[in-house]
Amino acid sequence: MTVNGAGRPRSTVGVSGEPLWLLGVLAAVAILPALPFINNFIIAAVVRALIFIALGQAWNVVAGIGGLLSLGHGVFLGIGCYTMGILFNHFGLPPWFGVFAGVALACVVAAAMGALTLRVRGVFFALATVSVSLALVQLSRHFVDLTGGADGLSLKFIGNSLWVGQSRTPTPFLYAGLAVVVLYYFATRMILASSFGLTMMAVRDDETAAAAAGVAVFRTKLFGLVLSAGMTAFAAALYMQFYMAIDPEAAFGLSQAIQLQLPSLLGGIGTAIGPVIGGAIMIFMSEVTNWGSTKIGVEGGDILVYGILLLVVVLRAPQGVAGLFKSAIVR
Amino acid sequence: MSGLLVGGVYGILAVGLSLAFGVMRIINFAHGELVMYGMFAGVVASRMLGIDPLLILPISFLVGALIGVAQYQIVFRHFVGQATLQQLLAAIGCALVLQMIAQLIFGADARTATSIFSGQYIVFGPFFLSKAQIVAFVIAASTTLAVSLLLNATAWGKAVRAVADDVEAAEIVGINSSTVNIGAFALSAGLAGLAGTVLVTYFPVTPVIGFSLMPMIIIACTIGGLGSLGGTFIGGICCGVIQQITAMMWNSALQDVPLYVLLLAFIAWRPTGLFGSRVE
Repeated sequence: MTVNGAGRPRSTVGVSGEPLWLLGVLAAVAILPALPFINNFIIAAVVRALIFIALGQAWNVVAGIGGLLSLGHGVFLGIGCYTMGILFNHFGLPPWFGVFAGVALACVVAAAMGALTLRVRGVFFALATVSVSLALVQLSRHFVDLTGGADGLSLKFIGNSLWVGQSRTPTPFLYAGLAVVVLYYFATRMILASSFGLTMMAVRDDETAAAAAGVAVFRTKLFGLVLSAGMTAFAAALYMQFYMAIDPEAAFGLSQAIQLQLPSLLGGIGTAIGPVIGGAIMIFMSEVTNWGSTKIGVEGGDILVYGILLLVVVLRAPQGVAGLFKSAIVR
Repeated sequence: MSGLLVGGVYGILAVGLSLAFGVMRIINFAHGELVMYGMFAGVVASRMLGIDPLLILPISFLVGALIGVAQYQIVFRHFVGQATLQQLLAAIGCALVLQMIAQLIFGADARTATSIFSGQYIVFGPFFLSKAQIVAFVIAASTTLAVSLLLNATAWGKAVRAVADDVEAAEIVGINSSTVNIGAFALSAGLAGLAGTVLVTYFPVTPVIGFSLMPMIIIACTIGGLGSLGGTFIGGICCGVIQQITAMMWNSALQDVPLYVLLLAFIAWRPTGLFGSRVE
């Protein structure tokens, strides 16, 4: 039997009143472009934050609520991005349809991976996710005709067009990102309150006890993984249309996988609000360090910061900022 | 044949990870980074001091062990006995920090080290073999043997195995499990450092090489059996041989693909590997 991690949050139903101040923040984000001192640079940073909040929320479902040790969620981000990109570049299929192909493929891959690796102890699932993502780095480098190899795949730029989901300015992505973030936030709240969410948390907290109480453990884990993979691939559409390019490292590399985990870890794993807070912090930190390290002339400062953040959160604040906030109120 | 030689080195790379898991139930995702520091130790010896890297193996062992002890004291101490999400994430955090420190010290370029055997080849029957790889294999095999002896024939090894089997029972008979754990982790990390220096005699090093070594290390452990040292070494050899066969018969750029398939198959149907017997 596996022992559960110390300090994993048990009560995960959001604080009442949370949506109210959140709506305030969202409204503030929505009117950003109208403000005089806001330029495209700032809007682009906000869009990046929204994208990683959405992706973090998807990881949160499988890891935070389901307790599955997925360390290679980039697999599903990459599948989503590459599928859409290839369908658009080679067949001219607009992303509005391509995204569903990506989601379907990600779900199939997740189901296959889960079917093979979810019956045994959790650590093997973790090893499998890491290995599969690193395998995909190699594969996507190899099949140059399809994926563009190590240089990556760039979307053909058409110009401002709603039909192909492209824009020269970041503002449209701000609204698309907001919509996805709001959708995912409420979806996560619904999952947390649903019987399926309760089942997932039961499996997370004590697999043996859950099985004894009649929960179909394997099926619950598998469904959680497929759901999260689908959510990741859907949010990948935002990523692909905004960045306009994807390469093997950005899709499947472990540094990217960490960027998918940090939002919910920083904000508070297993809560609906966690990834929202954490994603904002993560992008803010990475903007600041990138600006700082360009000034000094050192590369990769953000990776160092991510590593340190990961260690600090795991060792000192396993429930993230939301957890710190909550304990401060209780005190 | 050269698959066998390469595989032996995969084996020694993976043995340390397997040991740490066997004793403490932790997976050190920064194991590849410890190997990387061992590789840089070889580079420093060969390029800056003009010493043959193979002569500094004890020092590489020490470098790895020291970083390992620091890692254990700061991070893994809190996670003994539980390979949870938090433990794995903390290990990845360590890996990133160690990578960036190496990048700050050594720069991002690939570097090599030369030993007296580098770049020399011998013809053995139908085979054309690199001397550096033969030496690396011999060192890998004898080190694995030495570690097995250490664990099976000494009092300290007995204590380590006792802690691995049952921490509470070991504590009851007077074994200080935290001292044993530090020792075992230092050994695991030291092996990584040593393996790195052996590897760098024929394979260039970059600060981010750890993550590209990790899949092979994981596969070797899983095929051989996590926690079984001899099994892990043989698992490494299997990896090397399969790689070479694929490269010859199919495509050298896709030589790792069958290994990933094998990994998933082992996880699905035989998670204890070929030689692991631990039932949980």
